[in-house]
Amino acid sequence: MNKNNVAIERIINGIATENPIFIMMLGMCPTLAVTTSVTNGIGMGLSTTAVLVVSNLVISLVRKIIPDDVRLPAYIVIVASFVTVTQLIMQAYFVALNDSLGVYIPLIVVNCIILGRAEAYASKNPPLASTFDGIGMGIGFTWGLFLLSAFRELFGAGTFAGIQVMPSIYKPIDILVKAPGAFLVLGFIVMAMNALSIKTRANEITEGCDNCPGCGMPGADPDCEGKEGKKA
Amino acid sequence: MSNMLNVSSSPHLRSSHTTGREMYNVILSLLPATIFAVFHFGLYTLLVILCSIASCMATEFVFNMITHRKNSLTDCSAVVTGILLALVIPPSIPLYAPILGGVFAILVTKCFFGGLGQNFMNPALAGRAFLLISFGKVMTDYSYDTVSGATPLAQLANGETIDILDMFLGHAMGHIGVSICALLIGAVFLLASGTITWEIPVSCIAVFLVMMGLFGGQGFDPMFLAAHFCGGGLVLGAFFMATDPVTSPMTRTGQLIYGALIGGLAALFRFYSGMADGMSYAIIISNLIVPLLDKYIIPVPWGVGAKGQVYNPDEKKKGFTVPKSALILMVITAIAGAALAGVYAMTKTTIDANQEAKKLQAYAEVVPGGETFEYDENISAAIEGFGGAVYGDGAFGKAYINEVAVAKDASGNVVGYGISATSMDGYDGEISMAVGMDTDGKILGVSFTVLNETAGMGMLVNEESWRNQFQDKQVDSFVLLKQGGSTADNEIDSVSGASTTSGAVVNAVNAAIDFYKNYLAQ
Amino acid sequence: MNSLIMIIVSAAFINNVILSQFLGICSFLGVSNKIKTSASLGGAVIFVMTIASAVAYILYTFILAPLGLDYLQTIVFILVIAALVQIVEMFLKKTSPALYTALGIYLPLITTNCAVLGVALNNVTDGYDFIESVVSGFGTAVGYTIAIVLLAGIREQIADNDIPEPVKGAPLVLFCATLMGMAFFGFSSLG
Repeated sequence: MNKNNVAIERIINGIATENPIFIMMLGMCPTLAVTTSVTNGIGMGLSTTAVLVVSNLVISLVRKIIPDDVRLPAYIVIVASFVTVTQLIMQAYFVALNDSLGVYIPLIVVNCIILGRAEAYASKNPPLASTFDGIGMGIGFTWGLFLLSAFRELFGAGTFAGIQVMPSIYKPIDILVKAPGAFLVLGFIVMAMNALSIKTRANEITEGCDNCPGCGMPGADPDCEGKEGKKA
Repeated sequence: MSNMLNVSSSPHLRSSHTTGREMYNVILSLLPATIFAVFHFGLYTLLVILCSIASCMATEFVFNMITHRKNSLTDCSAVVTGILLALVIPPSIPLYAPILGGVFAILVTKCFFGGLGQNFMNPALAGRAFLLISFGKVMTDYSYDTVSGATPLAQLANGETIDILDMFLGHAMGHIGVSICALLIGAVFLLASGTITWEIPVSCIAVFLVMMGLFGGQGFDPMFLAAHFCGGGLVLGAFFMATDPVTSPMTRTGQLIYGALIGGLAALFRFYSGMADGMSYAIIISNLIVPLLDKYIIPVPWGVGAKGQVYNPDEKKKGFTVPKSALILMVITAIAGAALAGVYAMTKTTIDANQEAKKLQAYAEVVPGGETFEYDENISAAIEGFGGAVYGDGAFGKAYINEVAVAKDASGNVVGYGISATSMDGYDGEISMAVGMDTDGKILGVSFTVLNETAGMGMLVNEESWRNQFQDKQVDSFVLLKQGGSTADNEIDSVSGASTTSGAVVNAVNAAIDFYKNYLAQ
Repeated sequence: MNSLIMIIVSAAFINNVILSQFLGICSFLGVSNKIKTSASLGGAVIFVMTIASAVAYILYTFILAPLGLDYLQTIVFILVIAALVQIVEMFLKKTSPALYTALGIYLPLITTNCAVLGVALNNVTDGYDFIESVVSGFGTAVGYTIAIVLLAGIREQIADNDIPEPVKGAPLVLFCATLMGMAFFGFSSLG
């Protein structure tokens, strides 16, 4: 595949085919936690994208050196470093953004998307492709966060990016911006996708095999054939 | 899994309890309370009840239609849910509440799980919880017609005396199902007809009363216990909600444990946090445990059902060469550490400058007349003397005084102080703020420098309207009112649902005032 | 003593790590379909989280903070957790093969479990002392175990239900989590 094709293919893959939130069901933790407002959602998405791109690149560059049995701790150290760097840079140069997002930045470390992509792609593919994979996944993640947070903020608080949008007749349904509401909204979205026959990994994730966190997830057995005989 | 024959399996045995006959009995038993409510609260309440029932029925009907299932309205379970939901909401609530509550109760709690007999949580109470979390304000407004005020339980908590007979008969403020007398008539009917058994209501009420007696603060005073028996949906919950055969345990032992747990939790919520809604949360929390109760109370012979997985530890692990892998990991860590140190060094000065600017900005905000902010030697020395320990030996919780900046106007006169205080008692940890005071000890303002509380709840302390409660007040110390209703200067209304955060802020401000009194007021 | 109980109640119920803080969702969704599995994982988590909290605190208070190396805390904590898991695995293999068989397979899952790292970081920001950190870690893990076992109980019971097609699988688990989260909301009044 020549370079342009790889880039485009990776980006489309990340946004649609293997969208981390809707198709792959990775990175659930920040998705549920951060989508209470559009600004938080987009901010988190962009920060994660930054870390994802760089970490994919670096891990791809050193993929041949890292021994298999310490690969997870090694990935985590690399990712954690970049997250801390991101945090420091934000504290220094993007103070306003850091104030609203500051709490969530450390959470990027445990974002399964980053580790998942490191394991599933960056550790097996050349740097350029891995970089674009990071970009694609990042955009897909941000896009998904935007959709979710737009819905939750609009119907749960009546605002959009902090600006009152809904007419005063509308009574905001508070539960949507609280913890249980996150599960509820995500449940409806996945249900809708099932109803529309859009294939997701959702059911593979929740029917994980006993000794594996699920296909494509960090820590999954890379040699596993998966539940239906397909490669993980 | 799709080839499974749905012949028989213990969960399905439950649904035999909920034939139409049982449902009719339940509806009958609820009639006295419902009719009383309409007469007591007015015709609008009848509308609320009808909306709830209609919403439940419509949701079930539409869902069955869309998913091509048999119409199940004839089993009347939707009607029962509708009535029960209506009985636990305020009488004059806007109609969107029973409608949305009904949709949630039937659709999410019941239909999504397979329909009748297959839900694990009580639909009416799940609907109520949905409404409580989504529309908190209208769910706690019990006024109707021209009547407003506090519910009997709230009055009791404030130390007022109440008429228990009124409570018993239902001549009081509360939810639609307010008449204990009418409810008990229905309960007796249910017991007599064999629709419910005594285990759950008795264990629930018994444990509740015992715990209220032990921990409620008034001993086993009969009037006190009677009042709590009549209030807060205890009777309705114990006889009509907890006894739902679909969501309660199958064995007698299980039922006794379940009832006791509900009673205990309800009492805990009642005496610890004064939450009158405790009963409904107690029931839905206990619903979560029912599957486990059912699974383990019936002893199963060991080995039956377990699939006997054998994990061979040697199977998939590759050779673990400790030295080489660990070495490489250490190298990676060292490089990462060095890189981080570098970035840290580069950004440190900028970050520190930002912190300083933020601090000064906060001081300027809270001491409007201040042109310059300086540090006084003596004051700084006094603070250093604390050695970083908690201020006042913990009299203000985990509060710290970080520093004090002296505000001076353009001519160099001292106009006030910016006290930087921190409380570690916030819901999510550290809360830091600048408290501005003038030279007489009057609070000029409060501005947060570190605040990471829950969005929509604890974060609301940052709202100007909340912070202004401290403004222009000169008091010895502030007192937090968890339920609101502040009248005096030194009373601060807590942010609803965020008393921890509010309390932490009040503590820190009090520490600042105390510091002023001891070190600044000269 | 009172405040310690408060820490446990807060960590396990009021601020439940899964239902309120959204940490550990991946394992919550994936491993919760059998009670036995969930209980085993929960047990392993309690073990690792409690010890990790203690070790992380010691490292932070006596090495990182005094040397002004706060920014290294994330990396250090992760390494502590990874090392702990390895040690636990080796220890179990040698001393109790039966226990290893029961728990061993879940240990690698714990390294990547965001809940474990999350609680170590939270202990620092909450300003807990040593005992409080250990108690908080323990309480958090207990809350994790309770949530995942309760969900497993529910899932086992509804396994044979007549679930509508689009709801089958992940949506159903998410709706279970919704209802569980709503029930646990009742505990927030205790805070």
